[in-house]
Amino acid sequence: MSDTVPAHGNRDETGREREDDSVTRRKFFKVVIGVTAFLNGLILGIPFLRAIINPAPLQKLSYTEVGDIGSLPIGEPQDMNFAMRSGDAYRHEEVIHSVWVVKHSPAEVTVFSPICTHLGCHYKWNPQAGHFECPCHGSVFTITGKVIGGPAPRPLDTLPHKLEKGKLFVEWERFKVGVSEKVRA
Amino acid sequence: MRGLWKWFADRWPFYPLRDLLLKEEIPGGASFAYTLGSSVLMIFTLQIASGILQLFYYVPTTDHAYDSVSYLRTEVPFGWLVHNMHYWGAQAMVLVVVLHMLRVYIWGAYKKTPLTWFIGVALIFITMAMSFTGAPLIWDQAGYWAGEVGSSIAGEVPLIGGIQKIILRGGETMGQLALSRFFAFHIWVFAPLLALLIGAHIAAFRTSGVGGPWVEEKRKRTGPFWPDQAFKDLVTATVVFLGLITLSVFFPVSFTGAADTLNTSYIPKPEWNFLFLYQALKYFKGPWEPIGAAGVPAAFIILLLAVPVIDRYPERNPFRRPIAMACLAAYVGVLAVLSIIGYLSPGLAQMPVIAPGSPPRQSSSYLMSVAQGAPVPTGVVPHTSNARKPQEHGRGGEADRAGKAGQRGAPPGSQSLPSEEKALEETTGRAAFIIGSAENGADLYEEECVSCHGPGGKDGVPNPGSEDGTVPPLNPIDRKLYDKDPKIFAGNIDKIIQHGSVPEGPHPALRMPAWGDSRSLTQQKIANLEAYILKLNGVNRAQLVHPGMQPKSFLLLVGIVYILTLLLLGGLRSKRSRKADSHEE
Repeated sequence: MSDTVPAHGNRDETGREREDDSVTRRKFFKVVIGVTAFLNGLILGIPFLRAIINPAPLQKLSYTEVGDIGSLPIGEPQDMNFAMRSGDAYRHEEVIHSVWVVKHSPAEVTVFSPICTHLGCHYKWNPQAGHFECPCHGSVFTITGKVIGGPAPRPLDTLPHKLEKGKLFVEWERFKVGVSEKVRA
Repeated sequence: MRGLWKWFADRWPFYPLRDLLLKEEIPGGASFAYTLGSSVLMIFTLQIASGILQLFYYVPTTDHAYDSVSYLRTEVPFGWLVHNMHYWGAQAMVLVVVLHMLRVYIWGAYKKTPLTWFIGVALIFITMAMSFTGAPLIWDQAGYWAGEVGSSIAGEVPLIGGIQKIILRGGETMGQLALSRFFAFHIWVFAPLLALLIGAHIAAFRTSGVGGPWVEEKRKRTGPFWPDQAFKDLVTATVVFLGLITLSVFFPVSFTGAADTLNTSYIPKPEWNFLFLYQALKYFKGPWEPIGAAGVPAAFIILLLAVPVIDRYPERNPFRRPIAMACLAAYVGVLAVLSIIGYLSPGLAQMPVIAPGSPPRQSSSYLMSVAQGAPVPTGVVPHTSNARKPQEHGRGGEADRAGKAGQRGAPPGSQSLPSEEKALEETTGRAAFIIGSAENGADLYEEECVSCHGPGGKDGVPNPGSEDGTVPPLNPIDRKLYDKDPKIFAGNIDKIIQHGSVPEGPHPALRMPAWGDSRSLTQQKIANLEAYILKLNGVNRAQLVHPGMQPKSFLLLVGIVYILTLLLLGGLRSKRSRKADSHEE
């Protein structure tokens, strides 16, 4: 009871003022709520988005032994499999990769990545027709990798390689597909 | 735009829903005392967001769960923030739920809203279930053992125990099926259930109202939820939120090493919120154990459920409810005392958990031979656990070699050891890719390495017949092996730990055993040792590779942004009140 007495006594004089005050106070509350909620969302939202928009870093390149090329026929593409331990995010198991090798002479080869430059399918050599064909969208490439048909935007990707004592070493890397420039992926 | 909005609002109950959420007259007006519930809601939202983000990287498999979490934490920009916020959010959720419940009890609010209370009890139970099923997902030592012990307790409950354990583990042992189930329960069962019941909890208190102050006189005056209470809710929630970021920056979750049943130097102890149960169960011995396993958790839950049923006395003032307050003191006191005793008690030496049909473990006898001072262990090879067989993953390479070495039972220190140069040409083992626990590595070092490499890796013991004359020191380590990149550094020393090496010299008395190839040490243990040796040389194995932003800089930025905003809002407020004053004059 005691605390209602002064309120009662002041009502006429201060009642309106209090109301005005509470209106501005509530307006202010709404502003603070809006700003703080937005800020909280932003503070967490930006880093969390950053955690999703996270292109996996490019792998360090190194030469891997693919095998002996002594027995390969000259002028006929051959696919060669080789094992390498490649880091795939948190997995570090041995993975089998394959490359197309065209032997020009015992000291000269071309190594193609087996991935079609259009949308990333694995193409094949057609020995009858004498060109590479991609089964997905019908891109056709010559033995030098030139596009002669289909939607592929650029020639086949060659891979860096070296020959040591008849053995082929390849630097395995991937490139972006669907673009006309050869860019590492 | 307005037309489009009207079209939408005509077809979707936006306004009724908004009113349900925001429109309420709070007896006694807004108060900071009522902000705990909404803080739980904020934390839960945070848990969903950080949980979903972790799912972008996490895999629930025993061979890669730990590595996937390590990858998220060290190599994904702000992955450290995502993971640490989820961890600290989980701790805070349990704590704030308990505080919220205490507040409701002291205010006697459950007398007015018993249904809200009952749903609340279910919520605290599910929150604990989330806490329990979340920890093993990392499949680190801490989580693995928490899952092992927790599901064993569930298995001891009379009658339904066996089936409970099988439901939790998918079998008898803690393996892949168990991890899959913890994953499924955590994400697809308990999290949605929690969301649903939180919805029901909110709907219940909007329908049956809130308690308000315990003095009836004060309840006559009311204040709106929006924006008065919402403002206070947001203030508390923001303080909690900033607190969680601070904890994530200064107290990141420690790497306890990949789960390893053979690592007996790790002493498992439950998280703080399960310490009471851990301690209480110690008092139930022998035939009483199942009764404790079922009775203790049940008793705590039943007591909570019974509160509104037993206490129907309308008085809400805590100063006039001596019995209710005494009961509360007893309940909280028992929980607190059990937790404190549990916390202080030395962890029991890890009991070997032997699944039916699995062969007995030999690691202890092996460890003994080292303790007795035999620097070169003899042919006893501890078998690998069925929980995790790191060496058998991957095709070929060191796995095959290790397998063959294991089959031959070739002891470390046999004649086939390579020179250091040769060892460095070999491939690394799996341990090189695991972020180990430096802390556990220090313990393992004491057990396995100190006899040759000396305390702290400083003084190697004499090695007659070798060129150097002593065992190479590890602190500082040979510059050839050192690298400031923790992955490269770990990879370098890994090759020597895996494959061993023979020091140069005519007849070196001591050789580095092939700890990995001979399977004398598990890959997880080797990873812990590597983390310790890196630490001795000033390199953090768990160094953030792609932090997005260094944690402390991030915190500083957050602090600056909030202080500037506060100043701005404060300026706005004083300008407004000045305006109001001048208007009045």
